[in-house]
Amino acid sequence: MQSYPSEHREIVSALVDGRFVIYPNPTFVSLKLQEEEYREFFTQSYGYELVIDSEIAYLTSTEGMEKRTRDFVLFLALLCRELDYRGKNFRDAIEVGVFDMAETEQMLKQSSKWEVLEKTSVADFNEFISIWHRKNVLFRAEGQFKFTKAVKIFFDFAVNVANAKLKEVEAA
Amino acid sequence: MSNLNLSGKEILRFLNTHYEFVHSAFAAGKPHFMIDADKFMRLLHDYNAKNESKISLYRLTSEVKFCRQLSTGEYKLNRNYIPFLEYLFNDFVLNLPETLKNRYQAVFNHFTALKTETTGFRVVLLAQEIINVIEDFLSDIEGQTQRLLRDTEALKVNVGNHSAFSTRIQRANFWIDEYIIPLNGILDKERADSIVNVIIQLQQYSNERRLLSDNYELKLEFEKLYACAVNAKSELNKTLSKLTRELLPLLERIKSDSIILNGFYHFVENIDDPKAYVAALPHIVRRTKSSVTSKAFAAEAEFYIDQFSYLTPEILFNESDEDIEWLPDAAFFKEQLLKDDGVKDFYKWCLTSLEEQTENITLSKFFTLSNMLLDEDLVIEYKDEKRYEIKLADATLLMPKIKVYAKLSK
Repeated sequence: MQSYPSEHREIVSALVDGRFVIYPNPTFVSLKLQEEEYREFFTQSYGYELVIDSEIAYLTSTEGMEKRTRDFVLFLALLCRELDYRGKNFRDAIEVGVFDMAETEQMLKQSSKWEVLEKTSVADFNEFISIWHRKNVLFRAEGQFKFTKAVKIFFDFAVNVANAKLKEVEAA
Repeated sequence: MSNLNLSGKEILRFLNTHYEFVHSAFAAGKPHFMIDADKFMRLLHDYNAKNESKISLYRLTSEVKFCRQLSTGEYKLNRNYIPFLEYLFNDFVLNLPETLKNRYQAVFNHFTALKTETTGFRVVLLAQEIINVIEDFLSDIEGQTQRLLRDTEALKVNVGNHSAFSTRIQRANFWIDEYIIPLNGILDKERADSIVNVIIQLQQYSNERRLLSDNYELKLEFEKLYACAVNAKSELNKTLSKLTRELLPLLERIKSDSIILNGFYHFVENIDDPKAYVAALPHIVRRTKSSVTSKAFAAEAEFYIDQFSYLTPEILFNESDEDIEWLPDAAFFKEQLLKDDGVKDFYKWCLTSLEEQTENITLSKFFTLSNMLLDEDLVIEYKDEKRYEIKLADATLLMPKIKVYAKLSK
């Protein structure tokens, strides 16, 4: 019989709920110690793939995919764009900065791309931030929010897009 | 006036008077300092139109010899002006690291010759030449580093469109590969062919010679060479530090940031066409409710269970613990009354009887007893209008004096 850590229930409910488990949370440490067992567990029990690196863990699935991910990437892309246009170091701001909710919403509304954002779940900004707070991608408190380490997977996505585009250009 | 006799003062006066023109020609000519004939004439025409003090083409090409026209038609700036103007405008054109490497070669060759040279005056000449080449090298590398730092800062800001992101990536890549890495190689003291390595050797050699030479003139010359080597080593350390600790990380950062922004740009542009995202979005699972039943069964089960959900609401009162008051037994007292064969002052009798049985005589205890007046088998006689006080624990009563006894039938 497989032995589970004391945080087993917490690990499973967090990940199956679509949340990120992030170091230094003790659940991450337990998960990391039994990485292979959990990989097997999630594949066999749910058909999900466990993605885990040195700091974050989450589940992926091609079937039960979170449709709002697209909205989040769009939000992050336009936030980075606005910060860059304003001469700010957008990566430092995203990785370590604290954002005022009202100011951020205002900044996005002033963007020429707001017309794209307002058709998505970002339009209800308060609810949008709450959703991603629950997933541990953001941490929200007292009218402010900051990104967690989970944001790096969305940066990785952008790098993959850029590299694929560069290859397309080179091949042409 | 003959151009051959043009004094330095007149050249400086020309540069001072026509500073804006010189600057615009310098900027237009970079990096090879050649300007198309049309463009050059337009610059000249525009300048003359705006300024009272005019410049003639003859003065430019023949008197101050600022430039000359090539056989292909372009105007080329005079090479003697260029280093001074670069210094003046603090705007250095990047030389390829190969150019800098040539200077290393020159220092290395002169140094090799110096070590084997025995003739005094040849030693002096070689030492002076080495100092000149090193000074040129330091001046070049300082200018290049400044230029790279400034351009890198400029690259970081003022990005208004997507093509600028691609340009940033390309330029950052170009500078890293073509300048920073080769410059690092030239300055790396671990490498045998680096200029820093030659300068270290030169410093050791000149130090020995300045101490051991018998000839005063040679001693003085090696003293200068030693000072030059010490200074060069310190300057190159500073430059290396700027290159590796500031410039390279900054360029790497610009490159990686631009890649992210570029990726996001393509994503936003194709937002409605997921196939065109090129890369896959992270497939984060959506929130899953851990249900072991099918949705249809769950709905039916819920409906079934609802049938039993008609419990009437239960209302609960909070009951506080109340002290239960002792009340006299009216029957017992009535028996006493009958035994006494009637009383002359009924209310006083009530009070006295109660006082015999209990303390704290309250209104309710008193009335429990006095209510026996209503019993039909008792007769009441009431004559006097006067009333007197009966003090109870919670009230004071004004009562008449009444006589009570059992009916005669008894």
